[in-house]
Amino acid sequence: MLTKRQNLMETIKGGQPDRFVNQYEFLELIREAPKEAFMTPMGTEVKNAWGITIRWPEGQIGSFPVHEKGYKVLDDITEWREYVKAPSVNYPAERWTEAIAHARAVDRDEKFVTAFITPGIFELTHYLMGMEDALMSYYEEPEAMHELIEYLTDYELAYAKQIIENLHPDALFHHDDWGSQISSFMSPETFKEFILPAYKKIYGFYKDNGVELIVHHSDSYGVNLVPFMIEMGIDIWQGVMNTNNIPELIKEYGGQISFMGGLHSGEIDFPDWTPEIVMEHVERACKECGKLYFIPNLSQGAPISSFPGVYEATSEAIDKMSAELF
Amino acid sequence: MSKIEEVKGLVETGKSKKIAAAVSEALDAGDKAQDILEAMIASMGVVGDKFSAGEIFVPEMLIAAKAMSKGVEVLKPVMAGDGSSSLGTCIMGTVAGDLHDIGKNLVVMMLESAGFDMVDLGVDVPAEKFVEAVKENNKVVLVACSGLLTTTMPALKEAVQTIKAAYPEMKVIVGGAPVTPEYADEIGADGYAPDAGSAAVKAKELVTA
Repeated sequence: MLTKRQNLMETIKGGQPDRFVNQYEFLELIREAPKEAFMTPMGTEVKNAWGITIRWPEGQIGSFPVHEKGYKVLDDITEWREYVKAPSVNYPAERWTEAIAHARAVDRDEKFVTAFITPGIFELTHYLMGMEDALMSYYEEPEAMHELIEYLTDYELAYAKQIIENLHPDALFHHDDWGSQISSFMSPETFKEFILPAYKKIYGFYKDNGVELIVHHSDSYGVNLVPFMIEMGIDIWQGVMNTNNIPELIKEYGGQISFMGGLHSGEIDFPDWTPEIVMEHVERACKECGKLYFIPNLSQGAPISSFPGVYEATSEAIDKMSAELF
Repeated sequence: MSKIEEVKGLVETGKSKKIAAAVSEALDAGDKAQDILEAMIASMGVVGDKFSAGEIFVPEMLIAAKAMSKGVEVLKPVMAGDGSSSLGTCIMGTVAGDLHDIGKNLVVMMLESAGFDMVDLGVDVPAEKFVEAVKENNKVVLVACSGLLTTTMPALKEAVQTIKAAYPEMKVIVGGAPVTPEYADEIGADGYAPDAGSAAVKAKELVTA
């Protein structure tokens, strides 16, 4: 039996996996690494060193950046230099202790020691400004937007250096949501102009420094962005939704990039979920997408579910499909 | 190119910094405010159609709506008291328990651009608040309810049914990622739209039928 790591590599290289890669099993996320707060527990609010306020209201299923009046870090993109101040990435050594211990404890033959980065460059632009202002700024003030993205990219690269020195990760799991369920947020041309160069630098830096695997999360539509994903060095697009026609993507791009998802959290992970609903969706995904270049997984950007039991039931259903199809 | 054609082009390409001057020049050239407004509404219709067809993306629609809004600001003093261009008032909100506002904001912009007077109730709006807003505002012809989460679909149903119980003749349109035309029918909504561009088309159709 292949290790989880070997099985993953066989799957994404077009080899001979002996079962489906089961969701996030191959990634050991080192979440203890010091970083700015972009999440907060339910019912709380936090303001991080960027000046961004993050709030998780009671009864909701996640944290949101707050952009009500008086909360935006940046009201006018042309004044970004005055208001956007990147936090230091030079955290004291003791803040790395727990993360380093976690990384050292991982059997790297079995799993990938994985650095976890969120939010991404695009997300950070709209965390700072609000979604509407950010999206319009790409078109209305492209020069300032280029400058801001370069600044944010330099910050990410500085942090990447710290990550590599302290954790020596084998893999990177990087969030940046680039679309809604039915379309990319920006045109491929705009994406190519602004986002692609930033990620070529960031993912190139990780790969040049020993990171073997880049897993990018965007639980969205993104068919029109796949060529850029490949160009920037993504090995696995995690969060790929069914709105993308995954079997077609595998046919066209399998071997250059792999697709992790196909199980839409919205259809499975809800209060009235049942194991039967989960099984139905997992069976459909596994049979439609096949054994290579595909990893069945809930579209959520972490190995969790919003409602208790769904993640585990999904893993069990994938095991059943492995038993049936391999 | 006539001034009015120039205004149309500026809306479609979202040139909000240039449009105020162009609208003023069109007025100075003798174009009627009503005609300029209708030309801008038509341009936003084109923008909405292109968005629905996947030819343009959210930012292009946002900058077009912003340009339209800047153009309308110039027309407002000229058209003060002239309500002839309004399609009526539309109440809009994201339903209880749901904090997503981007899709809702896009629909507000597109409906406003189509000629509705919009009352935006924001996000996490309880069903009763939609009813109160219908009561408190003049010439309400449409209520638009948005819901993005599967977990808030019951709240969408409650909103539609509460509005219909209080105002059986009121037109209600719904939308949001998990909503389907079948679900819209099932909960008693009059209309459904899959995106902001088609929301404007459907909304006009509902109130002019």
